[in-house]
Amino acid sequence: MTYDASVQKDGDDSTTSGGSRPFWGRIVNWRPYQGLVAIVTVSPRRQFFILVAFPVLWLLTQHLGPMLQMLHVSLLDAYPVAPGTAHTFTFDNYMRFLGDRIFWQPFFRTLTFAAVFTFCTLIITYPVAYFLARHVSRKNRMLMLLLLLIPFWVGEIVRTYAIMILLGNTGAVNQVLKWVGLIDRPIPFMYTSFSMGVGIVYLTALYMLLPLYSALEKLPKSYNEAAADLGAGAWTRFRRVTLPLTLEGISSGCTLVFLISTGFYATPVLLGGPSTTVFAETIAGFFHVAGDEWPTGAAFAVIMFAGALAITGVFQRLMKALRKGDTA
Amino acid sequence: MNRGNRVALACCYWALVVYVFVPLILMIVMGFKDSKFIGFPIQSWTLDWYAGVFSDAEVLYTFGYSVLIAVLSTLISVIVGTWIAVLLEGRKFWGRAVMFGLMVLPALVPGIISAIAFRIYARWLGIEPGIGAIVWAHAVHNVPFVSLVIMARLSTLPKSQIEAARDLGADALIAFMRVTLPYLVPAILGASVFCLLLSFDDFVRSFFLGGYEPTLPVLIFAMLRSGMSPEINAIATAALVLTAAIGIWAERFTRQNSKESQV
Repeated sequence: MTYDASVQKDGDDSTTSGGSRPFWGRIVNWRPYQGLVAIVTVSPRRQFFILVAFPVLWLLTQHLGPMLQMLHVSLLDAYPVAPGTAHTFTFDNYMRFLGDRIFWQPFFRTLTFAAVFTFCTLIITYPVAYFLARHVSRKNRMLMLLLLLIPFWVGEIVRTYAIMILLGNTGAVNQVLKWVGLIDRPIPFMYTSFSMGVGIVYLTALYMLLPLYSALEKLPKSYNEAAADLGAGAWTRFRRVTLPLTLEGISSGCTLVFLISTGFYATPVLLGGPSTTVFAETIAGFFHVAGDEWPTGAAFAVIMFAGALAITGVFQRLMKALRKGDTA
Repeated sequence: MNRGNRVALACCYWALVVYVFVPLILMIVMGFKDSKFIGFPIQSWTLDWYAGVFSDAEVLYTFGYSVLIAVLSTLISVIVGTWIAVLLEGRKFWGRAVMFGLMVLPALVPGIISAIAFRIYARWLGIEPGIGAIVWAHAVHNVPFVSLVIMARLSTLPKSQIEAARDLGADALIAFMRVTLPYLVPAILGASVFCLLLSFDDFVRSFFLGGYEPTLPVLIFAMLRSGMSPEINAIATAALVLTAAIGIWAERFTRQNSKESQV
């Protein structure tokens, strides 16, 4: 089988590269190219520096640069700096956050919501990942996973809109409830933390499902069988074997989903109401006006990023301690 | 006992399928409703909303504008992402861990913060809000996804193949072009499609870095602020069909390819 395939491949190669070999040959014999190679490959060291220069430049200016510039602007008293005046650094923008209830209320609400939604996503997707990894044949597994992937190729706004239609006063859920006879007046699902939760879990479920699935798939079945032979019941097997060994997947899935959840802007605007204003809306508010409020907005963004990172940091520490405690 | 477990877990799976599919199906169905009001019951059907949307020059222009942004940003992301991946994979050097951390940074920054940071940086660089700024922001944001996919593929490339090419007289560049790059093609295609979809679907960066011309998600958002209407369903359905079709095609393509390379 393998032998056949390799023979066939070789046959293919000779037919396709018949035309391209002169091309590469000509390139190699071309004077300027030889000169270039001579310069580039004087030493492995020179070769490495040429390979490394562009990525380093890109990472520093494009990946790190925007974050540093945001930090810089957050410390300015005015932006853009008026010509002829010196930069004045100040912590006023950060102080403004501490000074007003209307700022830290959405801040803590965002972090709480993100934590609750992350937990909901975990509860919803863990059984599904477990089912796919344990109870489905290898052949069907990819198909069933693919079925779940399809909706996740659709954009954030389109899916948010779909949730609006689902939960509206004349939406499908209310119609079904009315038809069953449970209610006679529509329940106002929309513009509440509930509708926001339904939307955000919808958007993040995949980012939880995939790490959980890969963690569960890696786990050998024999571990569970050994535990069963030693007399452990189904629940004990799950609690003492499966769960501890998938903590790493849980930890990375939760971290990812939590960070993504704190960053949503359009979904809370469309699905939430006045009582569910999140910090993203507060931050965005500073950027809709001309430009003099940018430093405050930047400071608030820094605060939010720091807050989210602090929570994920503590969470990861906890999970690590839990893992250690279990193996000890 | 085991059987009951299995059934319960299967129910969880199908419940999730219902959760992720039903909203989209409802949205598609609503686009054919012959009434301005979104909601049930549906008395009669029509194709008027689609006809209206597809003869609307602004909508068509926005569609093309979004596709153009997706293609341009994907080109940049793929080149840069591949370069970074080739540098980071299978090489040990001082500062590699730091570089890896910096590489994944844009993927981990929450959406709104990333949009704000790009907005501030674009202004500092003097890039006006508009297509240039959006393409740049999408490109930077998508680089980590490309690099991670390419690194995963590179880690399975047998070193002996490159050594064989070098022994046969190829210099490093030729060996890269004729051995490494062809080996990476499936991964590059997969990553490209992923970038195209990320860029086409992105709202928050397009919203904060856009000028007066909206991308498709921004247009839908603006229309939604003034109320739901079946026209939005028609536009959203068109976007959905496009993205889902590309996604499914790419999935099939990469699976076929990985099967071939396994033989």
